Amino acid sequence: MATLDHPELRESLNILLKSSRPRLERVLRNFEIPPEDAEDILQDAQLTLLYKWDKIRSPESWLIGTVKKKCIMYWRKRRGSLCEAVDTAILDLLAVPQAPDQEKTELTYDLNRVMLRLSTRCRSLLNLRYGLGYGPTEVAEQMGYRTSSIRKVTNRCLAALTRQLLAVGFDQEPQGEPHDE
Amino acid sequence: MNKHPHPTLLARFGRGRLQRHRNREVVRHLLTDCDDCRRVTSHLLPTADVSARLEEESAPLSVDMPGAAQGDMPAIEYGSAFERSWREVKRLQITLAAERSEAFELMRELLTQPFERQWESVTDASRQPTWAFCDLLLDTAREWGFQEPGRALELSRLGVEVAQRLDGAAYGESRVHDLVARAWAGLGNAQRIRSDFPAAEKSFARAERLLKNGTGDPVEKAQVLLLKASLRGNQQRFREAFLLLDRVMSLGDQCDDSHLCGKALIMRGFFLGLANDPEAAIRHLTEGLEKVDPAADPRLVIVAQHNLTLYLAEGGRYCEAVRLLESARPLYYQIGDQMSLLRLRWLEGKIASALGHFTEAEEFLRGVQKELIERELGYDAALLSLDLATIYARQGRSAEMRRLAEEMLPIFKSQDIHREAIAALFVFQKAAEMERVTLGLIRDVTGYLKESRATWSLRSRESR
Repeated sequence: MATLDHPELRESLNILLKSSRPRLERVLRNFEIPPEDAEDILQDAQLTLLYKWDKIRSPESWLIGTVKKKCIMYWRKRRGSLCEAVDTAILDLLAVPQAPDQEKTELTYDLNRVMLRLSTRCRSLLNLRYGLGYGPTEVAEQMGYRTSSIRKVTNRCLAALTRQLLAVGFDQEPQGEPHDE
Repeated sequence: MNKHPHPTLLARFGRGRLQRHRNREVVRHLLTDCDDCRRVTSHLLPTADVSARLEEESAPLSVDMPGAAQGDMPAIEYGSAFERSWREVKRLQITLAAERSEAFELMRELLTQPFERQWESVTDASRQPTWAFCDLLLDTAREWGFQEPGRALELSRLGVEVAQRLDGAAYGESRVHDLVARAWAGLGNAQRIRSDFPAAEKSFARAERLLKNGTGDPVEKAQVLLLKASLRGNQQRFREAFLLLDRVMSLGDQCDDSHLCGKALIMRGFFLGLANDPEAAIRHLTEGLEKVDPAADPRLVIVAQHNLTLYLAEGGRYCEAVRLLESARPLYYQIGDQMSLLRLRWLEGKIASALGHFTEAEEFLRGVQKELIERELGYDAALLSLDLATIYARQGRSAEMRRLAEEMLPIFKSQDIHREAIAALFVFQKAAEMERVTLGLIRDVTGYLKESRATWSLRSRESR
């Protein structure tokens, strides 16, 4: 059981948090974590370390490894939620029944123009999803992917589409095919 | 939407915090290829460098950061993030210190009560359990597992109940999931010690499910896997046990925890011994003992040294065995529980017998045999009787051999011994009556008893 109520152990935690700071800053910079989000990552890792102090034998390595893992999770989660937001918005826009014809034509034109910059495979997949309203199982069947991997492949295509919409310097996506894993 | 969305709207879009219709408006605007807005939204995504790094991360907990020289890094200022986090740590330190001093008091009080009263205490709705109390309860339950398995089981059940009642909002949902997982794994281990393998299976399955919603702490995960490996070893499913121990080693390496790796090596050594590969057992136990911190887990060290001494002696490496036994002796007394001291004397008897000091060996073994029979540890008593039989066979003492066979009657009545083992002992008894006992027969019966012990335990429990 942790005995951080002892002053010497409390001191050792304080020393650790100070000594690990340069390495932690390096990890955060390396992953370009925005400062306002870095606080959550740091705090969560440091509080968990405190709760489990007597179970962790190499606290500095544990702390740095944990912060690094959280940085990775941070970007994966953020990328995932952006892709989901883009996907939901496009499906919503296409589903609006009372939209005037001109608006619909413009939307289709804009969407097709962005998708033209994606790989052929992604373009076909997203065409089935947005153009014909296919569900994941139908897309998998149509394109010869396994049902178990269609979600992963769709996510990759959505990530490529999101990059096209949000980022500068992505005029053309690499033409590599998404793999059926 | 023809006009550009406000940058704060774009920032909220990046965090997935927009209402659905706003989200639709932003995406519709971005579909027009607006370069001005893309310059703002570019920061919402990881840069190409970070994306490449995310793809590279096959071992997320490796501490090194390859390919990132200090000078190449963006100059982001994290000072205030560290300071605010530091303030939270300080605040929690004070809270935990208070919780802990209260937890020791509560535990002292709890341990004086009978189980029913303990259960009432921990389920008292007016009392919100604390992290520190739960942590202490789980440690206490684990400690009892070595001495009184029944008590350990009761405390482990209390541990699960307390962990499940922790306030996720106060301690963090994922951290509480970790602790509840630890509690279920502890219960699974207590059930394993009592040979209730089906119940243990269920408890470990729950622990693993909970870990998936936990913090992802590799040390927590490794501890659960270690206990599960122990179950697999008891079930003689050694291949699965070794795979689990490989994962523990890898997690230990990731977080630079040599003690954890040492524990995995020692456990592997135990299983290799059970799987009749004493040389490999000796190698793993020796390597494991070099890695563990004796102060952190003296009980593990003594059990590892005990088994290592045994395998060395059985392999004819008596000098090494005696040297190791002498160096380990103070620790046996330091641990001081009756079973450890009994096993020490048994080991001393075996080594004395192997060295040909038969009088001394007989004295040790006779004393231990009496205590094992009194404790109704039938299997151990039978195995020890066969050690005594080895002495008599070597010395050609047929009268003592016959008497030994007669004295084995109470063993046959012991509850922990099954029919097939009794049949094997009966063969030995008949041979003794007919003065036909050979060292080969003793070896065969001993081997059969060791092997059948685990198999029977598995069969009888799984058929429930």
